[in-house]
Amino acid sequence: MNSLDRLIKEKIERDLEAKTRRHFIKTCVTGMGGVALGSLFMSCGSFGSNKGNGKIPLSDRDVNPMASLAPPYPAKVKSVIYLHMAGAPSQLEMFDYKPALQKLDGQLTPQSLLEGKKFAFIKGTPKLLGPQAKFKQEGESGNWVSNFLPHFSKVVDEVAFLKAVNTDQFNHGPAQLFMQTGSPRLGRPSIGSWVTYGLGSENQNLPGFVVLTSGGKTPDAGKSIWGSGFLPSVYQGVQCRSKGDPVLYIDDPKGISRNLKQSTIEAINQINKEEFNKYSDPEILTRINQYEMAYRMQTAVPELMNINDEPEHIKEMYGVKPGKESFANNCLLARKLVEDGVRFVQLYDWGWDSHGDSHANAIDLGLRNKCTEIDRPMSALLLDLKQRGLLEETLVVWGGEFGRTPMQENREGQEMAFKGRDHHGDAFTMWMAGGGIKKGASFGVTDEIGYSAIEGKVSVHDVHATILHLLGFNHEQFTFDFQGRPFRLTDVEGHVIKEILA
Amino acid sequence: MEVIQQLLGRLHPIVVHLPIGFIVTGLLLQWFDRKNNEWGKIIAIIFQWGFISAALACISGYLLYIGEGYSFDTVKFHLWLGVATAVFSLLMFLRLVNPSKVDFLKRLPVVLISFSLFFIISITGHLGGNITHGSDYLIEPLPTSIKSFLGIGPENHEIPILDEKNWEDAVLYADLVQPILNTKCVSCHNSKKDRGDLQLHEGQGILNGGENGLVIEANDPENSSLYARLVLPLDHDDHMPPKDKTQLSKDEINIIKIWIANSNSFDKKIGELGLKKELFTAFFQKTNESIYPEIEVASASIDSIEVLKARGLHVEPLSDGNNFLKVSCINSPKFSDNDVRLLSPIFDQTVHLDLGKTEITDEVFELLSQFSNLTVLKLNNTTITGKNIEKLKGLEHLKILNLTHTNFDEEQFSILSSLDQLQTVYMYNTSISKNAKDKIIGTTEYNFGGYELPISATDSIVY
Repeated sequence: MNSLDRLIKEKIERDLEAKTRRHFIKTCVTGMGGVALGSLFMSCGSFGSNKGNGKIPLSDRDVNPMASLAPPYPAKVKSVIYLHMAGAPSQLEMFDYKPALQKLDGQLTPQSLLEGKKFAFIKGTPKLLGPQAKFKQEGESGNWVSNFLPHFSKVVDEVAFLKAVNTDQFNHGPAQLFMQTGSPRLGRPSIGSWVTYGLGSENQNLPGFVVLTSGGKTPDAGKSIWGSGFLPSVYQGVQCRSKGDPVLYIDDPKGISRNLKQSTIEAINQINKEEFNKYSDPEILTRINQYEMAYRMQTAVPELMNINDEPEHIKEMYGVKPGKESFANNCLLARKLVEDGVRFVQLYDWGWDSHGDSHANAIDLGLRNKCTEIDRPMSALLLDLKQRGLLEETLVVWGGEFGRTPMQENREGQEMAFKGRDHHGDAFTMWMAGGGIKKGASFGVTDEIGYSAIEGKVSVHDVHATILHLLGFNHEQFTFDFQGRPFRLTDVEGHVIKEILA
Repeated sequence: MEVIQQLLGRLHPIVVHLPIGFIVTGLLLQWFDRKNNEWGKIIAIIFQWGFISAALACISGYLLYIGEGYSFDTVKFHLWLGVATAVFSLLMFLRLVNPSKVDFLKRLPVVLISFSLFFIISITGHLGGNITHGSDYLIEPLPTSIKSFLGIGPENHEIPILDEKNWEDAVLYADLVQPILNTKCVSCHNSKKDRGDLQLHEGQGILNGGENGLVIEANDPENSSLYARLVLPLDHDDHMPPKDKTQLSKDEINIIKIWIANSNSFDKKIGELGLKKELFTAFFQKTNESIYPEIEVASASIDSIEVLKARGLHVEPLSDGNNFLKVSCINSPKFSDNDVRLLSPIFDQTVHLDLGKTEITDEVFELLSQFSNLTVLKLNNTTITGKNIEKLKGLEHLKILNLTHTNFDEEQFSILSSLDQLQTVYMYNTSISKNAKDKIIGTTEYNFGGYELPISATDSIVY
């Protein structure tokens, strides 16, 4: 039997496999119940999708799901760079200055503060731990920045602080999911997926939602935090490596010419299109698009992800480490991506979990090193965006998944080798900068020891509502129908934080 | 009993139409019968029923007045004239039936009673309508020009607009509290209609309180029903305003609270009370947030947009339903001067044009001068030198110009700086040095970039 016969035989067999008894029954059921079920099926996949006003041009979107779309309302920014410090940085050593906590250093925590609270590791009665950094008011705004961030203190007037962000999660995985998808449980689309679903992306040779990680590990919650949830999977984040090839196997194999590659992809896509005509599964369209995107990315990405061609002074400003995986490289890449019309760039930097269980996790040692690692790059990112006129159309968000306790961690009730703080979600600091943000603002106040919010408490949903607002969405109208009900990034909550808007 | 009383009272608006019908019919018949005098008996019966129904209307009207908390001042004319209607109908009936019995009736001319009835019933009806619908109900639909001619301008219920400068000078009560009450409370608590015996249209009324006593406990908002009822759950019986009425916003409720908490002063300014600005920012005037022109343009034809999109250009509205367009050549690096001509169908609509990283040259300025509403223009990463840039002078809406990474020529800088409509010009990575700052006239902000973060000793310390 020659190979052609085998192919034909295989095709016939595959076609027959597709028509099992189950398939027959299924076809009958859908055939009869189809009319009644029609509306239900509308909520599955992109056919039932709508964008608040339900006006997505269906065909255009199916053929090109990343086509750039106008926002429902006038937007302040067109792209977002989200800097997530995985592990939860200590607000008390960076931005939230609490002199009273210094005075109480070493004292036992009053019971009234501990009652009804859950901690990840703290047991019994911990001692309070004064700030391990020195603080100064910086810039014209006079916002407090610690000496862990000497460079950032020079750009502090560009950003607006949220000093009392609140989350109800105190473990990394759920808290990261909550921060990035609006729900602490799996299955919901991430912010970047929502945004690219709603707005597409300008550069058709690059993914609309790029993820870059640094710090040696990826976030605890795994890839779900840049997943697309129930949105078509074309909107999930594309993780690029910042060391070596940005995308694995991006080069053509030896001996394969560009033309051959092109005709291969065309043939594959032709088959896929026939499959789509047969089964109407939107995921097939996603696959077709991924093939095409991958082909275009082969030329665009290596060029874009090459930071070596940047001028020396820029590389110095960011403090890049060519050939290595670093937050600095990722910040520079983030600027390049946004400059080239990528909609959403998500950076994760791992290693912020300052429990005090090791040198690297000591609040006065390891944390300080982590601060040094991000201080220059994130400050340079703001300045570089600014001088290119990009800061006014980009939103930069900085934060972790929660904050840290004013108490010193006493794991298992024992004194620990290094100074550290436990997970704490009641009140922590985030900042935003860029278009539509009130420069130098600071919203929210925590109590004297930085334990709870006493004014301007905002939730994770509020942060999401604000991000969507700046991109031109009303977070209450931006929905996707799934399993019979419209879903939102902010679910049933969230208020735009007007206090930090210009 | 009270239920029946209220129910009968509320039938008043229906019952009143009976005497009106009878009396008008009677008057009409009298008019037609003025020569022949044949229908006397019928007319008398009609006025008899006019009297009976008018009396019923008076009773129901009185019950309504008792039951619904109208003040006597509001209803008195309507009430007396209603009674007068009944009395005159009775007079007419008696006059027509048996004038001989009562002497003075004979001397009363029928015509006089007819005209009196006609006027009384018209005025009574009108006043009644005013009580139900409000005195401005009838004239409300008139055009403003006619209203102002008649000297009846629209009532000012708007909350005065504060701004960054004047907010401390605003009087808390007069400029915020009372206007809030006016918009949300006064329609039921005023001198005409004082539900719960409470009048909120002026200071004295607020201090007087209502049937349950005072509504303000100075400095104690939680125990002041004026505030406490606002924050009760919406379903609570005592919640105010009633569930189906427009509710106060969070910020408005907060203002009422602050006012009570600060001794409900009637004349103190916000500044004198030392209150925080954040409490009032919700009432600040919204400045025009958009940088784009505040004018209307016709929408561009879909076909011409499709043509441009097919060539790989991004052409999108600023937002859904907005006619202004944002155009970007980010996917068309080969875009050149001549291609700009393709945009001619959308010259007026384009407010944001990104020609960065394309092959355009200085020739482009000639064409750009036709984008009459252009607000943001990006020419970064191109080979332009700024020659012909004076063509942009006519673009009165141009606010942001990005020239970073171009060959912009120092000689053109003086022309550029004469474009004083510009707000921000990005000049990073051009031959123009920061020294050119001296030549800048006007208020345009020039960003020459070149930011540095000097190396510091702490950069390399590892703890």
